[in-house]
Amino acid sequence: MSMFAQDAGALLDLLVKKKLITDQEAEEVRAELTKQVSETSGGKWKLSTPITEVELYGDIRLRYQYNGGQTTDNSPLGAHVNGIAGHDDSQERERERYRLRLGVRGTLADDWFFGIRFETNASSRSTNVTFGDEASGGPFAKNSDTVNVGQAYLGYKGFKDITLTGGRMPNPMVSTLMVWDPDINPEGLAEQWKHTFNFEFGGGSTASTEAYSKESGKGFVAPSASESFKLKLDLFVNFGQFVYDDSNPENPLGPRATTTGQVGRVRGNQLIPNTDAFLLAWQVGGKLTFPNNIFLQIAPTIYNYTGNGDSFNIHYQGGDPNVTNAVSLAQNQTGINSLLIFDLPWEIGWKIGELPMHAFGDFAVNLDGDDRARAAGHPGFGDERYAYQAGLGVGQLKQKHDWQVDVWYQHTEQYALDPNLVDDDIFDGRQNMHGVAVKAGYALSDAVIFSVTWNYAWRINDNLGTGGTPIAIGINPLDQYQWFVADLNIKF
Amino acid sequence: MKLTPLILALAVVFGLAEAKADRLVIKGSDTLGAKLVPQLAEHFKAEHPGTTFDIAAEGSTTGIAAIIDGTAEIGMASRRAKSSEVGAAAAKGRNMKPTIVAYDGIAVIVNSGNPVKSLTKKQVEQVFTGDVADWSAVGGSGGTISIYTRNTSSGTYSEFKELAMKKRDYGKTSQKMAGNEQIAAEVGKNKNGVGYVGMAYTKASGVRVVSIDGATPSVKSVQDHSYPYWRPTFYYTNGEPAGLAKQFLDYTTGSAGQKIVAQVGFVPIK
Repeated sequence: MSMFAQDAGALLDLLVKKKLITDQEAEEVRAELTKQVSETSGGKWKLSTPITEVELYGDIRLRYQYNGGQTTDNSPLGAHVNGIAGHDDSQERERERYRLRLGVRGTLADDWFFGIRFETNASSRSTNVTFGDEASGGPFAKNSDTVNVGQAYLGYKGFKDITLTGGRMPNPMVSTLMVWDPDINPEGLAEQWKHTFNFEFGGGSTASTEAYSKESGKGFVAPSASESFKLKLDLFVNFGQFVYDDSNPENPLGPRATTTGQVGRVRGNQLIPNTDAFLLAWQVGGKLTFPNNIFLQIAPTIYNYTGNGDSFNIHYQGGDPNVTNAVSLAQNQTGINSLLIFDLPWEIGWKIGELPMHAFGDFAVNLDGDDRARAAGHPGFGDERYAYQAGLGVGQLKQKHDWQVDVWYQHTEQYALDPNLVDDDIFDGRQNMHGVAVKAGYALSDAVIFSVTWNYAWRINDNLGTGGTPIAIGINPLDQYQWFVADLNIKF
Repeated sequence: MKLTPLILALAVVFGLAEAKADRLVIKGSDTLGAKLVPQLAEHFKAEHPGTTFDIAAEGSTTGIAAIIDGTAEIGMASRRAKSSEVGAAAAKGRNMKPTIVAYDGIAVIVNSGNPVKSLTKKQVEQVFTGDVADWSAVGGSGGTISIYTRNTSSGTYSEFKELAMKKRDYGKTSQKMAGNEQIAAEVGKNKNGVGYVGMAYTKASGVRVVSIDGATPSVKSVQDHSYPYWRPTFYYTNGEPAGLAKQFLDYTTGSAGQKIVAQVGFVPIK
């Protein structure tokens, strides 16, 4: 109705200009249209003047989820007892869940933009709410059905090819599940540059001719001579300065606080740092697109950390097979000490006939892996610093009846990655695990996708724990792990 | 005994109704209400003895609000009612009916000592949004531009944003004035001043009208809509006007009223 009114406004102006109606008649029609629009639901929305475009978007997902994990016959130490894992033990969980994400993003005058997204679940790495999980409150209580701010950011695009963003934002880095959980929205600043170069080789064709046919609508007649070979190169640079852990106050009253007592194999008290921890990301990449939708993309990245904050300051240990499960779980699983990560996500795409295919993967190494292993009490395992992923995908999910299947292998060693960022679905967010995963999806409509995902993982090094958090299975070390989800997702 | 108060009350009610019938409440646009409507009212009173007018010219927004609230019979406006205002009126069972009573051209004025005689529409946008801050950027001889605008309740304030500024905000240094006369007076005193006024206010001393893309506001350029900043001005009523409001509206749009429209400096509708 609103669009109709606007179109009619232009039509009225034209009719006046052609002297077919008077200004007064046009005003009366305009006023009546305005009244009709104001009485529609769309006409009751009011947007502030600086907003030049706004989009409401989101998704709702229903999920069945299975998690299962088991120990070995000799670790962790001790036989299992009620509620606590020992050797020869296993745990399984089945949950029915939903998630809601509702966002608004838009552009403002003078090249500014903004975005807000509300999400269920207070966790940074999950937007799921489990049906009936409230410990109290009776059937269908709403204790866990809270809505939180998932994204709140603003930005500026006034400089050519450059996007500046600040706030709690969608991850600006090109990455994979292996390194970054897609549920995580980093907080801080990001600077992005992207430029497209187009190259054309050979050809010597004549200019194309515009034509029209009733069946196909407006089109172009192909050039008469041989076509040139066209390449497109997208170069991009993504920088991020993310506030990882705010130390507050920076200058506390009295002497510096320390952590209390010994934790795991880290001996002696540790001063709690009084500086903020920042995650700095440095990415330079490119995507080369050949004719027929063949492309290659790489995005080499360095991640480094400054300071230790006041919550992630304890050295990472990640569990131990030579202690009881309770002690192993109590070891630090979140420390960000000695992390200097080089990451190389990549993707190659092509088509066989009309069938899109892609190969994808990632390689990462923690250049400070020796120090991280030493600080964890395992100085002989500094080579456990690598993570990699490789997979193959067939199909795509863009419109109704599309389908896609992705299969991949993933391998993450104990001291390779930041345990707080890796995806917590695949391998339960653990390190020192490797395994396979399969995801298959089918588009029931343009906006509704049904998919199933399954993965199976094994421990890599039996001398180490399987560090990570948050975890669905309360076992460390986790010898084998299995995860299955069936999702019905509606995007709007 | 008991009938006496009732009779007195009825007398008061009918007496007030009788008095109200000869009194017309008009609120709204300063552009219309400062000069034009008072003069129309004087001439109308001469032909309709006993009629009184209550005219309050505090901006188009107040005129439209008065129709929504039912506190005036005629709402003067130099802009169209917004959809939110039309919706608010509809929610109260009122119907905002516009009647064009005159055309106007919003003239961009500078100090008569300013050498700038013409601007493009793009330059006007740059000047009033503050994108350019010095006259030298638009062909002047230098000096920090002083922007004078109407206040936010003014129809001209929002109309000019729509017509000339792509709905962008005025520059941060802009100064808001109560009416056309105040803007003309300030620009007349300030050699670096720039502002906009209705055509009726372009004769103020010390100011000069700047042509826009080669067009200047005139009866012809406004009537044929070739001047880019032309606009209709309105009387808003609650549905079809009746009684005294209809008589005054008919008078305004009739030949006698339109003659006064031209005399005051507006552009007649016919």
